[in-house]
Amino acid sequence: MAIPEKVDAVIVGAGPSGLMLAARLSEAGRKVVVLELGPPWEPKDLISSQIWSRRLKWHGANQLEGRNPVAHNFNAGWGVGGSVIHQYANWPRLHAEDFNVHSAFGRGLDWPFSYDVLRPWYDRIQNEVGVSGDHTREVWRPAGAPYPMPPVKVFPHAERVAEGFQKLGMRVSPAPVAINSVPFKGRPACVYDAWCDAGCPIGALVNTFVTYLPEALKHGAEIRPYSNALRVLTNARGDRAHGVEYVDTRTKERQVQMADLVILSAFTSQTPRLMLNSANDKHPNGLSNSNGLVGRYIMTHTGASAFGLFDEDVQNYMGTSAAQLISQDGYAKSSKRDFIGSYTWMIGAASKPNDFTGIANTQVPLFGAALHDYMKRASKGLVKISAVMEALPNADNRIVLSDRKDEYGMPIARIIHSLDEDALKLFAHAREEGLRIMHATAAKEVWAPPGPPALLHFTGGTPMGKSAADSVTDGYGRAHELANLYITGAGLYPTEGAVHPTFTLHALTARTADHLVRNWGTIVA
Amino acid sequence: MTVDRRSMLKGAALSAFAFTVGGATSWLTLREAYAQSVPLNVLTPTERAALEALGETLLPGAREAGIALYVDHQLSVDPGDCLLAARVANVPPPVSNFYRACLGALDRAATAAHGMPFAQLSPEQRNHFVDAMRQKVPEGWTGPPSPFFYLLARMDAVDVVYGTVEGFERLGVPYMPHVSPTSKW
Repeated sequence: MAIPEKVDAVIVGAGPSGLMLAARLSEAGRKVVVLELGPPWEPKDLISSQIWSRRLKWHGANQLEGRNPVAHNFNAGWGVGGSVIHQYANWPRLHAEDFNVHSAFGRGLDWPFSYDVLRPWYDRIQNEVGVSGDHTREVWRPAGAPYPMPPVKVFPHAERVAEGFQKLGMRVSPAPVAINSVPFKGRPACVYDAWCDAGCPIGALVNTFVTYLPEALKHGAEIRPYSNALRVLTNARGDRAHGVEYVDTRTKERQVQMADLVILSAFTSQTPRLMLNSANDKHPNGLSNSNGLVGRYIMTHTGASAFGLFDEDVQNYMGTSAAQLISQDGYAKSSKRDFIGSYTWMIGAASKPNDFTGIANTQVPLFGAALHDYMKRASKGLVKISAVMEALPNADNRIVLSDRKDEYGMPIARIIHSLDEDALKLFAHAREEGLRIMHATAAKEVWAPPGPPALLHFTGGTPMGKSAADSVTDGYGRAHELANLYITGAGLYPTEGAVHPTFTLHALTARTADHLVRNWGTIVA
Repeated sequence: MTVDRRSMLKGAALSAFAFTVGGATSWLTLREAYAQSVPLNVLTPTERAALEALGETLLPGAREAGIALYVDHQLSVDPGDCLLAARVANVPPPVSNFYRACLGALDRAATAAHGMPFAQLSPEQRNHFVDAMRQKVPEGWTGPPSPFFYLLARMDAVDVVYGTVEGFERLGVPYMPHVSPTSKW
C-alpha cells in the first residue's frame, strides 16, 4: 500500500462542495488533495445529447428497500465537478420557516441556526457565481440582496401555464436560476437551447468549470480522479481523523492519503456509507456514530407533475432545464392543512424528446403507433408544471451497510426509505391543484400522473444540529466525535424545505470554508 | 476553462462506429450496420430477436434504427461509459445481466402464454402482451419486474428513434447542439 506525502487537507469528492473547499483552503496556503471516484471531465465532454448526458451520472447501484425505494443516480454526479455538472440550476433559497420545523410543529428537526445566519452566505454566493431572478416579484423569498442579473427569458410554454395560475388567483414570479441571463464575469449569456442536463460547456450555467475548479487548480490543489475512498482512518485514541484509504480504480492499487484535516464531500448516500465502513475499535458503530444517527434522517423531495397539450407551437424545446417561472403560494407550512410541508411550483422547464424527464415519459402507458402520434403532437405542444415538495425527516429512513459488496470489497449502501402520510397527502394536494391549474389554461388535453410520487433530490443522512445527542455534526459540519473531520453537502440538512438543494449547499459550504480558514490553527492543533 | 460555442460547433461532426464485418473493421452508422446484419458482441441471436421485436412493438422503427446494435454496443463497454437509461436506474453493473434476465423472462412468459417466444408472436399478440407486461408481471415471467423493463426498453426505443439529431428532425424541433455527439449514440 502506497502512502503519499501528508497534506494539510484531504477532501473526498470533487463536487461543488469539495471543490469550493479546495479552492478556499488552497488559496489560504493549505496543501489540499481531492479524491474523486470518477474521471476528470472537460467542457468538451458535455455532449449535447440526453443519451450522452447519462455518462455524467453515477452508474452504481445501492440496495433499495422500503415502501418508496429511492434510486438517486439521476441526481448524483460522477467525476470531477460532481452533480453540479449536470444540474438544472434552479436556485431558490430555503425559507426562514424551514429552519425551525421541530420547534414550530413538533415534527422533524431544527437547524442549529436560523435563516439569518445563512442569509449573508446566500448573498455572497449569488454574487460570486451569478444568479438571475427578480427579488421584488419573488414575493415569498426571505430577505436578502437583489440578484446580480435580471430574470431569464420566458417562452410561450411558460406563459401559457402562467395564465392558468393567474386565473386561479395564484402568483408567479421569475424563477431564480444559476444561469446567466446576461453576460456575467466574462461568461456568456444563456442561448436557451435547453441542454443544461447534458452540461453547459459555454459556462452560462454555474458548474465547477467556471467556478471553483479553476480556482482550486490555480492555488495548487491537487485533484486526484479515479480515487475510490474506502475508509477514513483515525489515530489510536480515536479522537482525530488522520487520513483516507482509497483505491486507484485504474491500477487497483490501495493508497492512504494522510492529512491534518479530513473533509467528506461525497454524495449524500456515500458519506454515511464511508463513515459506517470506517468502524474501528474506538468507533465500533462507524465513525462518530455513538448516537447511531449516521445515515439516518435521509430525505427526498417528492414530485408531482401536471401536463397540458396545445395545438399551437408553444416552443417547449426552448429555454432551460430549469424553470422559467415559479409559484410558492403553497409554501407556508401550516397546521391548518392536513399535512405539514411546503411546496414550490416550477413552471416552464424546456423539454427534450427522450430520457427520464423527456416528452416520451410524460405518457409512459403509450407505446406503438400511439406513442409516435403523441410524440409528434407533444414535441411542440406540451406544457408542464412540476411541484417540488417537502418530506419531513424521519429517523427510520436511513442508510446502512448492505451485506453485498462492491468490486473493492466495500459494502454497498442499503437505503431504506418510505414516505409518510404527510408526504402522501401533500402529493395528493399538489396533484389536484396542478390539474386545476392546467384546466384553467387553454390546453386541449390535461392530465397528471396518479402516483406514486416521483422522488427527486436526496438529502440528509448526516444532519447537523445543536447537540451531539441528536445530530451527526455541529453547525459547521464538524463530526461530533472527531475534532478534525468535517462533512459538507446536502447530507447535512436537518430539513429540506421545498427548494432545490444546490444553492443552500453552496451557501453552507462557503460558511464552513470561511470557518476553516479563520480557525485553521485551532482545528488542526 | 469554457469552450467557445462557435469553435465547438465547427469541430463537431457525426461519425460512425467501428464494426467487424467479415474479419475486417468497417466504419458504419448503426442503421447501416443493422442493414448489413452485423453480428452482436454481447447479446445472442435469440436475445437480439426478442429485443428487436420488443423495440419495434414499443416504437415502430426502433428495429431499423438499430436498437439491438445500440443496446449491444452499450453493454459491451466499460460500465462507466455505458449510456443506457438502465445506468441511471440503479441497475447493478454489468447491465448485460439485467438485459439477459429480462429478455429471457420475456420469451419465457410469451411461451407460457402463447407457446412461442416473443419474436414469433403476431403483431396483435405482441401489442396485447406488452400492454399487459407494462401493468403487472405476466405469468411465467421470472426476473426483474416487467413494468420496470418496459420503462427502460421503451426508453431505449425512444433514444434510437427520437433521441438523435435525425430524430429531432423527424419531430421538426431544432437540435441546437453545443457539442455534437461524436457518434449517433
